[in-house]
Amino acid sequence: MDTLFSQLSTLGSSVILLFGITLLWRKSLRAYTDAFRWQSAALTVMFLIIGYFGNDPELYVVAVFLFILKVLILPRYLERMEQRFGDQRESQPYVNIVTSLMLSGLLVLLAYVVTRPLVLVSDLPTRGGLPLAMGLIFVGLFVVITRKKALTQIVGFLVMENGIALLAVLGTFGIPIIVELGVFLDVLMGFLVMQVFVYHIHSTFESIDVDQMNKLKH
Amino acid sequence: MTGYLLEFSQALLALLLAPMLAGFVRWVKARLQNRRGAPIWQPYFELAKLFGKDVVMSNNASWLFRVAPYIVFASALAVTFLIPLIAAPLPFDNIGDLLVVVYLLLLGTFFLALAGLDTGTAFGGMGSSREMTVAAIAEPTIALSIFSLALGAGSTNLSHIVVATLTNPGVALSPGHLLAFAAIFIVSLAETGRLPVDNPSTHLELTMIHEAMILEYSGRYLALIEWASWLKLTIFFALLANLFVPWGLATALTPAALAIAVVTLILKLAILGVVVAVVETRIAKLRLFRVPELLGMSFVLALLAVTSSFLLK
Amino acid sequence: MTFFLLIFPPLLAALIATLVRPYRAFVGWIGAWLSLISLGAALTIAAQVVNGQTPLWGFKIEYLNLEDVLRADSLSALIMVCVAGVASLALFLSPGLGRQQITNPHWGELAYAPNQLRRYHVFINLFIAAMLMAVSANNVGVMWITIEATTVFSAFIIPLKLNRASIEASWKYILICSVGIALAFVGTVLGYFDFVTLSGRAENALNWTVLLATAPTLHPEVMRLAFVFLLIGYGTKAGIAPMHTWKPDAYGESPAPLTALMASSLFAVAMYALLRWKAVADATLGAGYTDSLFIALGLLSLTIAAFSVVLATDYKRMFAYSSIEHTGLMCLGFALGPLGTFAALLHLVNHTAAKSLMFFLVDNIEHKYRSPLIERTRGLLKTMPWTGAIFAFGLMTLIGLPPGGIFITEFALFRAGFALHHPWLMGAALALLAVVFVSFINHLNKMLYGVPAADDINMERPVEKFSWRLALLLIPVALLVTLGLTLPAPLATLINQSVAILSKP
Repeated sequence: MDTLFSQLSTLGSSVILLFGITLLWRKSLRAYTDAFRWQSAALTVMFLIIGYFGNDPELYVVAVFLFILKVLILPRYLERMEQRFGDQRESQPYVNIVTSLMLSGLLVLLAYVVTRPLVLVSDLPTRGGLPLAMGLIFVGLFVVITRKKALTQIVGFLVMENGIALLAVLGTFGIPIIVELGVFLDVLMGFLVMQVFVYHIHSTFESIDVDQMNKLKH
Repeated sequence: MTGYLLEFSQALLALLLAPMLAGFVRWVKARLQNRRGAPIWQPYFELAKLFGKDVVMSNNASWLFRVAPYIVFASALAVTFLIPLIAAPLPFDNIGDLLVVVYLLLLGTFFLALAGLDTGTAFGGMGSSREMTVAAIAEPTIALSIFSLALGAGSTNLSHIVVATLTNPGVALSPGHLLAFAAIFIVSLAETGRLPVDNPSTHLELTMIHEAMILEYSGRYLALIEWASWLKLTIFFALLANLFVPWGLATALTPAALAIAVVTLILKLAILGVVVAVVETRIAKLRLFRVPELLGMSFVLALLAVTSSFLLK
Repeated sequence: MTFFLLIFPPLLAALIATLVRPYRAFVGWIGAWLSLISLGAALTIAAQVVNGQTPLWGFKIEYLNLEDVLRADSLSALIMVCVAGVASLALFLSPGLGRQQITNPHWGELAYAPNQLRRYHVFINLFIAAMLMAVSANNVGVMWITIEATTVFSAFIIPLKLNRASIEASWKYILICSVGIALAFVGTVLGYFDFVTLSGRAENALNWTVLLATAPTLHPEVMRLAFVFLLIGYGTKAGIAPMHTWKPDAYGESPAPLTALMASSLFAVAMYALLRWKAVADATLGAGYTDSLFIALGLLSLTIAAFSVVLATDYKRMFAYSSIEHTGLMCLGFALGPLGTFAALLHLVNHTAAKSLMFFLVDNIEHKYRSPLIERTRGLLKTMPWTGAIFAFGLMTLIGLPPGGIFITEFALFRAGFALHHPWLMGAALALLAVVFVSFINHLNKMLYGVPAADDINMERPVEKFSWRLALLLIPVALLVTLGLTLPAPLATLINQSVAILSKP
């Protein structure tokens, strides 16, 4: 039972990480949105799996919220913005695609190194996925840093949030539900603010390229 | 003695199946595109036709041009002796492990690229340079992904890997295996010149990779090269099928087991053939600049495969 | 109950501001007067804490275990009073309280439209509520949520005027801070993970008191990793270098009361979160690990800030760099044992007063001169004698001249450093402070004296008259002078107790 659980959780984490790495390969906002939606769906399944094997019904509740927020609402908003601004393409990120991919490989290696103490300390069957979750956090951070479009940066941020949720559920079978719900609320609000800003950026700069923002220096 | 017999019959089987596999993929593709399609044994007729024709050669061609087809064919054929097609372990296991397999395949690619350059035509040179671009990323990816399997099994010997998976079936679902499978699948498409990297049925020289290198070949040379490339397709499919889903492979040399092994091999090849045909129908060819990105992706997959099988041991 | 009085008034004010549309001046006034209730509650809590009580509040219904969710010890009380105090000041000085801001034709480009004022009054009150909640939360998860919420609320009002600069600043602010604060959550999760691995799941495991009690048994290697994430995360929010890059932009572009709140209160809240975790990490690891991280980042902040101040051409950004400098100083202080911690906490109080004062004054100056550039701001003493004088006092306090309180705290801080035998570190810090000192005096000279170009100034009222707004600013001035001359007994008790909390053996 435990081997099946641990295999499923590691497998699920790899799939979730792969959706994160897909971002680095793809260019169009639509592909970003799709990758995020599928990743969130996989994350929902992960919560269900851990809720079932870990005997924790609270996780089912969290999974429902997760599904509504990250599979239904946020991608819908992203799609609406895509329709509004046209399909934005990340045609020239600060780091080109091949290098990004190679670096993401290194980032995952780094995540393995960093999370080594966690894996050694823990005796949960899900511990195998911890490095992958940390890797996803790093990959999300990398997307935020290296992409130029405001919208793709937002998706990078959301992916990073997914990584954190995955880390939490793998490492602890879920943080206390009240905190979890608060986090969802924050993600939603943060997203809405960013979305408002994307509209502002678009109307002020007539583009959502953030490298146009270079007015403020000294 | 039976072992040697097995080896030779395995190689012979691969030789015979290869054209049929190519024909099968073409046929499925045709059906998916609402065409009737040529019968699946069409490649055999092509081979017979080509072997029957005279060779026309450029005046500038050197001995390299003449030798290359034999080397390409021989290296592909040699690989069929070394990989577990219908049975494991094999008597030739000690001759070569996965490194030998990878570099035999690279040897063929290398000579083909040389031959493409040899005649000094524009398209040949273009094809060679493109092929080398692809191979430079594809080869380490294959090596890495098979390494990730080797790490799990504790040996670089292909048969050992297969047997290890057979005795411990849970491994087949581990992330290391799945990532390596995805990596090798992408690389197989690149190495065997399929979409989205190269279009095997293209007639447009500017987009060619593999076809551009062999534009100058004709007659029996072309036959050998075509046969070798079909063989390569078979080899990659067989590696994909048997390394990751080894069930059905004969572990004892009984006639019944061998018969089952042959049938399952054909079945697995057919399934992969259908998958490739569907993929080729669904997607368009990538722009050449995007190809290194795709291969980079598969390299990362392979790297992750190695990482996870190394660190999760 | 006191907690209720602390957090509810700003929420009520935000609600009123939401309901009344279009914006009317009385909404702002209600918010301002309500904030005094918060301040009173904060002072009550502080008084309780000084008398040795620890106010607690919480409930439990079935699954929802929120026991002891709010708690105030002396450290919370200290920051709480700082936050509530600056909040009151900021709300009384907010735009839209009087009529002149909207109608004055000469201030056309600086005035705010009613919808902007409404947005401002909704979100600034929410922002204040979130900060007060963060310092009274016992649960580190709740603390994280509210601190993240401060980012969201403040981001709404940084660009009250939509233009390229303000949008750029707020986009950088929200992106950098959201990402940073997300990393702090990784740290929180790792801390919880460690707890769960040791003692199984518990609903109240994220309560700081519980965490601290189990801290000595937690795994050092995990805590080390967790603390790095927390330091990066809350450090981003506090503006510790190298995560400080949003600070000059955001401070330069926000409306003045918000800048004052961000520079003093928000910074204090982020530092507070960091200190809470530092206490836990120290209990697990011993103080050496976190101290060396604090020293490294503190010194880096000082260095970057010192040289940026030299190059500053914009006085708002100059004060942002000064904030980074003081952040660095406080980081050093917190790493220098009980003496240093005492100095740093007192410094925090002084800095809160001084920095909020400066940003309000800067707003006055900008209204008059319509330019944030130092070179276009000449003859301050002539055109604005009151503002100019207070400005000079505040700036000299900031760079550590007596009689301002910062002189005392910097002195205490360096004494703590030398007592712990860090002569080189202290020498470097002193040298950097000297750089700041000289360039600040230089900038101040340029601004105070000289002849203002006639077309630069709003000529409607050539010489500034004393008004109640300026009178309000004398409160922080008085506070700074008092703290420079003496240390009131309740404050001393409060800080001493906080030091005891932070430097448990």
